[in-house]
Amino acid sequence: MRTTELARTNTTLLMRNKLTMSYALVVPLLPLGLLLLGERGDIDAASGTIATTFLMALMFPVYYNLLSMFVSRRDELVLKRLRTGEIRDWELALSMALPGVVITVAVSILTVVVAMASGLPFPLNPVLMLLGVLMAAAAFSAFALWTASWTRTAEAAQLTSMPIVVVASLGLLRGAFPESAQPWVDLLPGAAISNLLRITWFGRAPELGSAQRFDFWATWGEALPSLAVLAAWTVVAIWVARRSMQWEPRF
Amino acid sequence: MSENTITARGLRRVHGSGSHAFEAVRGIDLDIASGTIHALLGVNGAGKTSTLEVIEGLARPSAGEVRVIGMDPIANRAAVRRRTGVLLQRSGFVADLTVTETLQMWAATVTDARPVGECLTMLDLADRAGTAMRALSGGEQRRVDLACTLMGRPDVVMLDEPTTGLDPESRRQVWRLIRALRDGGATVLLTTHYLDEAEALADDLSIMRAGKIVRSGTPAQIVADHPSEISFATPPDTRLTATLPHSTNGDVTREGGRTIVHVDDLQAELATLLRWAETYDVRLDRLVARTASLESVFLAVADEDIADPDIAPTQHAAPPHELEGSVR
Repeated sequence: MRTTELARTNTTLLMRNKLTMSYALVVPLLPLGLLLLGERGDIDAASGTIATTFLMALMFPVYYNLLSMFVSRRDELVLKRLRTGEIRDWELALSMALPGVVITVAVSILTVVVAMASGLPFPLNPVLMLLGVLMAAAAFSAFALWTASWTRTAEAAQLTSMPIVVVASLGLLRGAFPESAQPWVDLLPGAAISNLLRITWFGRAPELGSAQRFDFWATWGEALPSLAVLAAWTVVAIWVARRSMQWEPRF
Repeated sequence: MSENTITARGLRRVHGSGSHAFEAVRGIDLDIASGTIHALLGVNGAGKTSTLEVIEGLARPSAGEVRVIGMDPIANRAAVRRRTGVLLQRSGFVADLTVTETLQMWAATVTDARPVGECLTMLDLADRAGTAMRALSGGEQRRVDLACTLMGRPDVVMLDEPTTGLDPESRRQVWRLIRALRDGGATVLLTTHYLDEAEALADDLSIMRAGKIVRSGTPAQIVADHPSEISFATPPDTRLTATLPHSTNGDVTREGGRTIVHVDDLQAELATLLRWAETYDVRLDRLVARTASLESVFLAVADEDIADPDIAPTQHAAPPHELEGSVR
């Protein structure tokens, strides 16, 4: 399939660039050090650290990497050239997103390994957790395409990426918001990721310190609202990106 | 082969909208026969690229229709793209990839791609296979670009200024390649602003100006329809030279100290002029007489009054008298 073949070239390029590679792989793994050093058995602290890791893996390899790749390739007229051929726009976008998505999945798996090494349990519903990671990756890929539509140069991406970085990170601070605001915070992508993680890995409700415990079967239903939030963000971001997408540099 | 591989009818294209709208293509008809090389010739801004982009299916026309191999290039995108090869006027590559990797990347997007090794040989790039794109010269990058264009063994090849920026040797090489494509049965549509390129390659050509086709036909036909030119330094005695227009059937104009006479029958009119000069004892300094060439047609077209919205009709060469009046 031409998308995966093109994605392979993009992966080669990603790995060839040491700076992007360290951003893509090392930065997301840094919070994991806290897991090994932190107090054992504190699930709330551990789930916070793991959520930070996941968010970093979505922010750097998926979001920022796709954004800067898209913008610089557009600037270099590479996208314009490719679009004269048989490949379709969505395949082109997907081929640039895939390497980052693969890295994010790899980071997730590595996170499970490190977490177990630090005494945490194996995820309660790993399939649902993986689904959540993939849906979050789709949402952040869509954010990247949307941001790219109004980012002129790769340098400008450092600034234009800020709104998404802030909005996504805010969700992680769910517990810091007053209780009345939490249902609204739950609508942020970062909160959806954090909530999904607590439900699918630890069988716990989003509320910190909650005594509630879900079994495997209950996780499916509990995860639905968060999955719906991610799906909604993805749909909106793709819709906006499609309307405003620029495939050629604006002179 | 007589059927047309590319046809366009009433093609128009508007860039921008509202008060910034600009009509780059203003009603073009084209019929490009299978297995021929057709050149769109024109100065920069004549609308060549805008026209080509519509035929390539990269842009929608604002009016009119295009058929490539009998199909709409946008509605039948997949089928048309599979059989066409496009070379943009300017395009880019990922600087970190080698030539081989660049071709492999392109091959991934092509149905039934030519082997990369074959492409390297075809464009004489074998010794640069392992070189990063950033280290290639402009001419070498253009050849890699062409290799991508031809990778899917296209039946229709559309080249936007294929040799701009190439050194003379590379140009000749690209010309040979384009002729070989035609001889192999492909239909080639190219744009150029080089007259020698159009003359050397084109079986048919269309001269564009201000979004319209103002001349079209074989190079020989286009030249045949154009008047020859006699010119000389305007003699100082203006009372004498005032008698000249009555002595010739040509169209007499004066420009920058030179008198220019456009004539249909060069030999007869030249004889008339020389007799006139002898009768009035006029010295014709720096006398030049030449039959029409593609260059003179091209320059005449470029000089035509741009403000005139209804210049010569499209598709058919304008009768010579229309041309004469317009050269000032």
